[in-house]
Amino acid sequence: MTSIALDSEDAAPKGGVAVFIRRNPTIVVGGALMLLLFAIAIFAPWIAGDPLRLNPINRLRPPSERFWFGTDQFGRDVFSRTIYGTRVSMVVGFSVATVASLLGLTIGLLCGFYKSVDGIVMRVMDGIMAIPSILLAIALITLTRPGLAVVIAAIVIPEIPRIVRLVRSVVLSLRAQPFIEAAIAGGTKAPKLLLRHILPNTLAPLIVQSTYICASAILTEAALSFLGVGVPPEIPSWGNIIAQGRSFFLIAPWSILIPGIFLAVMVLGVNMLGDGLRDRLDPRLARRM
Amino acid sequence: MADAAPLLEVTDLACHFMTLDGVVRAVDGVSFRIERGETLGIVGESGCGKSVTALSILRLIAKDTGRIVAGSIVFDGQDLTRLSDDRIRELRGHRIAMIFQEPMTSLNPVLTIGVQIAENVVQHMKLGWKAAMDRAVEMLRLVRVPDAERRIHDYPHQLSGGMRQRVMIAIALSCDPELLIADEPTTALDVTIQAQILELMIELKEKTGAAIMMITHDLGVVAETTQRVMVMYAGRKVEEASVTELFARPLHPYTRGLMRARPRLDVDAEEAGRRPRLQEISGIVPALNRAIPGCAFAPRCGFATEQCRGQRPPLVAAGSGHAVACWEVDRVERSGLA
Repeated sequence: MTSIALDSEDAAPKGGVAVFIRRNPTIVVGGALMLLLFAIAIFAPWIAGDPLRLNPINRLRPPSERFWFGTDQFGRDVFSRTIYGTRVSMVVGFSVATVASLLGLTIGLLCGFYKSVDGIVMRVMDGIMAIPSILLAIALITLTRPGLAVVIAAIVIPEIPRIVRLVRSVVLSLRAQPFIEAAIAGGTKAPKLLLRHILPNTLAPLIVQSTYICASAILTEAALSFLGVGVPPEIPSWGNIIAQGRSFFLIAPWSILIPGIFLAVMVLGVNMLGDGLRDRLDPRLARRM
Repeated sequence: MADAAPLLEVTDLACHFMTLDGVVRAVDGVSFRIERGETLGIVGESGCGKSVTALSILRLIAKDTGRIVAGSIVFDGQDLTRLSDDRIRELRGHRIAMIFQEPMTSLNPVLTIGVQIAENVVQHMKLGWKAAMDRAVEMLRLVRVPDAERRIHDYPHQLSGGMRQRVMIAIALSCDPELLIADEPTTALDVTIQAQILELMIELKEKTGAAIMMITHDLGVVAETTQRVMVMYAGRKVEEASVTELFARPLHPYTRGLMRARPRLDVDAEEAGRRPRLQEISGIVPALNRAIPGCAFAPRCGFATEQCRGQRPPLVAAGSGHAVACWEVDRVERSGLA
């Protein structure tokens, strides 16, 4: 008789958490960092004091027992501001990744599947890809009131083509797969073919790509806030904390270094999570990149 | 030939592909018929138009390059070449089902096999999901997948190649098709598994009464499973006969070449220790993007004459349901079996 099943990793003995950690260290470390930062963002009001409270007597104080991360030129607590800044980065990172993925997925599926839309839409995508996100954000913010939504929109728009290209290429290669041909030969209708047979097969690379987009969105938001075209100054974000602290770098380096470290750790965490997921979900993609 | 209307009657089918190198005549005027419950074998080497013929029947030829330029495909009284897209889609997987060559990649990796069988049932037989899943279990039992109730929750990667081909057969037969097109169903499988799958197909055919169009390049498969054989070369039919007749009296030089090209242990082992060479058919299949005025096989044929190169041989009856397209039939037959 033929062998009935190949033992897959999923069906392997339930070695539990220890085995999972040993096999996927990057997922575990990245995931842990993200969970930690996520908790910080949610529980910010309980962890930190008012990030906006001015305290002119204690300006530019070095880290101490009272001000863990020191204070800035207005006497504001850098610790509180950094903790609250996590919220902005989290919100921007996740909403950009989600919105860009959903829009990109929809457009990419249609482009890969219907050749009639493909030509036109892909040229539009090429056009959008040529717009630098920083310049687009500056333009958008000049035209409207600065706010989180505008920042998110400004980062999402140039990211969409990257997702579209990815999804479209996956759809094109899937269409040539025998199982799609078999589904057509079985009389499957086009919408069902797209949603049930093609869509689920695009998710693995899409999830991986969206983690990278999340990381780059966090960095772009920081850059925008640093330039003063990101979130409004009354919302503390790592970018604008660094921007405000840069004139006092020599006397108060903590107000730059500490949010900088948080930024680096968060991007590291997202990227590690992405790398780990990539290795786990799509071994072929791992070799290609 | 039978008097009653056949299940499938293909007449002068021509399917051409418009490519940058010109028009490729993949199938160029092929006619054949399949009676109900009959198994027709289509044999030929790679690129001779077997698969394109099969895909044409289900109208699965990519529209942007390929086109059925002539001929009719009458299935149970209706011409498939004239049917609307919706109507033909209702036929696919329901009354005409297809099994592909690659069992490793013909199943969707993200859906369980039970869902993939049931999906076809839900779509064509208008059953509910629960009934369809019951049907899936029943089909898996029919194709002898052990432990079917548990297996329906497996994903394709958990199955071996032979098991996957069984699942493909289960999907194909799930809606009781009248015609099953099997495009090299055993090519990608181990020899031992091939035999099992063929046996299974013969058995299921008897159970369900479906007609089978068995596309293969393996004369062994033809001998074991089919009743009638059609030999194709370069997009044309060159010979057609019942299996016994074809093996006893192959008339076309190409058919003879195919038979000589098979390794045969039974005869040759007896010849005193000498290992005979396998005889190949020299040359390659002609490019199909240029019109071939004469017999397409002429450049590779030992019997070829001026007439062969200049005039296309018609298909002529050669007694007892045998038909062959060759100018030199008499000479070929007199030369005896190789």
